[in-house]
Amino acid sequence: MIDVLTQLGSGFLACLHPLTMLMLVLGIIVGLLVGVLPGLTLVMGVVLFLPFTYKMDVTNAIVLLSAMYVSGTYGGAFTSILFRIPGEPIHVPLLWDGYAMARKGQPARALGWTLIAALVGGLLSAVAMVVLTKPVAQFALSFSSPEYFAILVFGLCSVIALGSGSLANALISLALGLLIASVGTDAIYGAYRFTFDLPILADGIEFLVVMVGAYGVGEVLSRLERGFSSKPLSEAGTTRTELPSFSEVMKVKGMLLRSSVLGHIIGIVPGAGATVASFVAYGVESQFGRRKREMGSGVVEGIVAPQSAATASVGGALIPLLALGIPGSGATAVILGAFMLHGIQPGPQIMASSSAMVYTIFASIFIGIIVMCVLGYFAIRPLVKILDFPESIVSAFVMLFCFVGALAIRSNVTDLWLMIGFGVLGYLFERFRFPIAPLVLGVILGPLAEESFMNSMISFSNDWTVFFTRPIAGTVMALAAVTLLLPIIGMIRGRRSGDPTPGGTSIPAEPAAR
Amino acid sequence: MSSAPAREQGVGGRLAQALPYILLLVATVWLWTVADGIEYDARPGELGPSFWPRAALVMMGALSLLQIVTTLFAGAEAGARGVGAQLVTEEDEDDAPRQPVLLLAGIGLTIAYGLVLNTIGFPLATTAFLVAFMYLGGSRSHLAIWASSVVGVLLVTVLLLKVVYVSLPRGAAPFDRVADLITGF
Repeated sequence: MIDVLTQLGSGFLACLHPLTMLMLVLGIIVGLLVGVLPGLTLVMGVVLFLPFTYKMDVTNAIVLLSAMYVSGTYGGAFTSILFRIPGEPIHVPLLWDGYAMARKGQPARALGWTLIAALVGGLLSAVAMVVLTKPVAQFALSFSSPEYFAILVFGLCSVIALGSGSLANALISLALGLLIASVGTDAIYGAYRFTFDLPILADGIEFLVVMVGAYGVGEVLSRLERGFSSKPLSEAGTTRTELPSFSEVMKVKGMLLRSSVLGHIIGIVPGAGATVASFVAYGVESQFGRRKREMGSGVVEGIVAPQSAATASVGGALIPLLALGIPGSGATAVILGAFMLHGIQPGPQIMASSSAMVYTIFASIFIGIIVMCVLGYFAIRPLVKILDFPESIVSAFVMLFCFVGALAIRSNVTDLWLMIGFGVLGYLFERFRFPIAPLVLGVILGPLAEESFMNSMISFSNDWTVFFTRPIAGTVMALAAVTLLLPIIGMIRGRRSGDPTPGGTSIPAEPAAR
Repeated sequence: MSSAPAREQGVGGRLAQALPYILLLVATVWLWTVADGIEYDARPGELGPSFWPRAALVMMGALSLLQIVTTLFAGAEAGARGVGAQLVTEEDEDDAPRQPVLLLAGIGLTIAYGLVLNTIGFPLATTAFLVAFMYLGGSRSHLAIWASSVVGVLLVTVLLLKVVYVSLPRGAAPFDRVADLITGF
């Protein structure tokens, strides 16, 4: 424990380096802005900023992207509460009680509770992250390729099962991602696959091209087709934040702790990010909370539960990323990409080989959460002013960042063409309701999954039962199967009860209207 | 895709819903033939480099086929949905009408950008793209459009070429002088 605290202390000192601190503050500001702007999602924002980190020191690059990730879970709360515009899907639950509290003439109070929830949830989760990452990494050291393959399968199954669309479409999206990842020179046999005699394809398709295209260009094209029809802003009653008193916070400490723990655990599950955490925490309070009957009418619990869980999911999502090399969310998938671009493969070895970097990242999360709340408290007015920018101008700049992202990878215009192609694919995915997350995670995790699978086959003489007979691999595979079966069981139950949603009970879009 | 049950629609409507899956199935068959042509020195007992992509193709093909059958007989929304569907109803669905002309113009503009990039260079091509895209998106504030485009491209070009050292297409002569001017400044 002393060792952990010592290294964490060194991490805090490293964060005080002017350039690292600059990156941290920059990441927080950009993350808040990304959170505020509807149409620019948190993952898209992190993707678009990735090219600017190419030449940075890896620690500063990860600090910048992690800071964006943390603050992106908070920025959208302002617009949800003040204007009824969720900057991020994460903040849809805040429409129900946050906006309702604002309508009752208490927007400053709603913003104050949001700040406290983000602060407490984020810090509690960061503590758990520091405590848990090392033991998880040490446990993972005993893993062999079958265990890794099983964990990757579990991660991919979670992404599919936790989505909100068609299960079949999600699986098709994943298959397409795995296929795209297989383009290029095969790592085991050295054979060219799907290169179509194009030299650049021999090096494979960069996952960043897929991400920037599908998330960035695809989203902009979808919004352009709708004529950039964002709703005009109504005047906010206030852009001030009024913090609750200590005694008020203590009255909801149990709920705050419960939601933070829930958010942290959901963050650890690969594929489940801040959005799932936010909705689940709200759902738990709606069903089991002390004031469950008042949820949706502007109560504190409806604000604190989703916000604390959303910010707490960040610390959770960083654990599998650092300890296993498996991203727990879309944003951590991009951060994994940043590690790989700098030649570092996160995983069990990272705690031994790059512990200084890991603890600097840990420390930056603590500092980042505090800076985020300070900025959120004092700079809310200029932050929400960004909504005055016309959507067409913001979208044009998103396209500019997409172009830069594609051109910066290999300085090759072919990557730009590929990105445009994936942009059109992203648009078609949105149009025909195929989820993009499985595609992107398939592209990122595909090579790792293939390598683990092929190495297992080579090591165990093509005995595929090894994935089920080894204790850890078998358990994880069983979990993956259960995860994938959940939506199917839900569908059967839903059909019996006449409700088409998986569990048969969905949270209404407007609980206040109940 | 409409959520109306397939049986209430005509054959045309059902086929339209199934079209993405039909295209995916065609693509799967074509890629399978491409995977047949992957060359490597085969050794007994090895799965080979085509095993993994073929597994993905089997998954994609089988699911596309399943979706074609399901869509034609029971409707596109009939299958299982992710657990996330339980958490939220689709209240954020944008109800603004789709304007395919805008979409096609946007794609055309992006393709035109890719075509001229190596000739006129990053700064000019990007400025022209930004201006055109903002007008296309409905903005009519001329000063804001031109000022934000020019200043934005200048800043990004300087940042990439002089700070983070990312190589950008400079364009052919005489257009390459613009990039030289910016970096020289």
